[in-house]
Amino acid sequence: MKFAYYPGCYLHGSAVEYDMSTRAVCRKLGIELIELDDWNCCGAVEARDSLSIPLSARNLALAEKEGLDIVAPCSVCFHKLSKANKMVKEDEKFRKKINETIDGQYQGRVGVRHLLDIIVNDVGLERISKGVKAPLEGVNAVPYYGCLIVRPSEIAKFDDPEDPQSLDDLIKATGAECLPYSHKVSCCGGGLLANKEDFALEMAKKIIDGAKEGGSNCIVVTCPLCHTMLDFQQSNIESRYGITIDLPALYFTQLLGLALGLGVKELGLDKNMVAPMKLLESICIE
Amino acid sequence: MTEAIRLTDTDPRFVDEIKEAGGENILMCYQCGTCTSSCPVREIDERYDPLKIMRMAVLGMKKEVLSSDIIWLCSRCYACHEHCPQGVGITEVLHAITNIAEREGKEGNIKIKSLKPRLDGVFNDLIRKYGRLFEIKFFVHLVLLSKGATGLLSSAPDGFVMFRKGKLRLLPQKIKGMKQIGRIFKIVEANKK
Ligand code: SF4
Ligand code: SF4
Repeated sequence: MKFAYYPGCYLHGSAVEYDMSTRAVCRKLGIELIELDDWNCCGAVEARDSLSIPLSARNLALAEKEGLDIVAPCSVCFHKLSKANKMVKEDEKFRKKINETIDGQYQGRVGVRHLLDIIVNDVGLERISKGVKAPLEGVNAVPYYGCLIVRPSEIAKFDDPEDPQSLDDLIKATGAECLPYSHKVSCCGGGLLANKEDFALEMAKKIIDGAKEGGSNCIVVTCPLCHTMLDFQQSNIESRYGITIDLPALYFTQLLGLALGLGVKELGLDKNMVAPMKLLESICIE
Repeated sequence: MTEAIRLTDTDPRFVDEIKEAGGENILMCYQCGTCTSSCPVREIDERYDPLKIMRMAVLGMKKEVLSSDIIWLCSRCYACHEHCPQGVGITEVLHAITNIAEREGKEGNIKIKSLKPRLDGVFNDLIRKYGRLFEIKFFVHLVLLSKGATGLLSSAPDGFVMFRKGKLRLLPQKIKGMKQIGRIFKIVEANKK
């Protein structure tokens, strides 16, 4: 199992713990990651399609040269790369135009996958369960998927857009409790943070409130933008609303890594802004 | 109280402009309201109503739509898109509307009541320069634009914690393929005109 790894800008910076835990978990599961040489930004939520499609297409062309499919852990990158891929694959005239723009020769032979999809569907839950060294009893997690990993479903494709299951199944495979959660696919508000902070924080608060009401001690995420809203912005939400939250938000790779017996440092768990120490103690990890 | 729409003030070509800017399916809408009831931003503020924005656009109320602060509040969550029974692609329609607003704003025809285009412009400029996002520069600009110098001061402690945790690079990562990136920006910008 070998993929062109597209970390995206955030995993090379503020989401470094997602990058670390992705690499560690993939190593353990026998997924070979070759970082895509000289990749560029996909355009993220900021760039309009007119710009982000050619930007994304340059990355697709790079992967095609390597003869590898792309894996992206960030849901925004996954969305942007998949959308560009779909558009150039389905329309030859458009592909020509984009190739002209990027001065490249992309033929449309690359697949774009989210890391969660590969772990759950290619590695498979059976192998993961067998690899679990330390079942995470004491972790009561809610599975938070967010938007772009499931929507629009004609682009995201790999799970149900209303009631996805892959993250639920993965959490269960780690031995943690996966609590019922009605905010699975709600929006974290990340796209509005810079432009309309009060709305963005209210949206994130709803996700957190839902998790706390269910008695969760951990929210599991699949995207660095969601993580920003739920982890980095958590203290901001606390002070704005005058409340105490103290709910760690873990990347699914961090949770899985713990179950596979990987170390706290290796998984970058000391880099989350909301320290997960109480959670780690509850599963007897110092 | 709502004012009557004066037909002399409307622009019947607005809908065609939207179609051209990426909102091809705007006229497929049969006004069921599913988009509005799916929208998380609407849940917070009743003033934000994706169906209403589209109706106004179809009626040709170009100036009202483009100069409203409301059109910039879509979080691009695609909930409306997913639920629409008519495949209208509302997220793309709304995006097309903001694209037109940006263009008209640049030409001085309307005044844009949102920071969004400027914030996105800062992002794009960094990609143009390095091929990847230089986060710390982006964050500083974001905070300065949205909260001013005092805002920047009060977010300094967070910045310091991030730095200590190794989550902030102090130098940009410039890619090798900058010629290609430059070409992409050049062509995209020429097409906009
Ligand atoms: S859900 Fe679709 S058809 Fe219904 S009102 Fe919204 S855009 Fe129109
Ligand atoms: S994409 Fe925009 S308009 Fe549609 S539901 Fe989400 S926030 Fe509302």
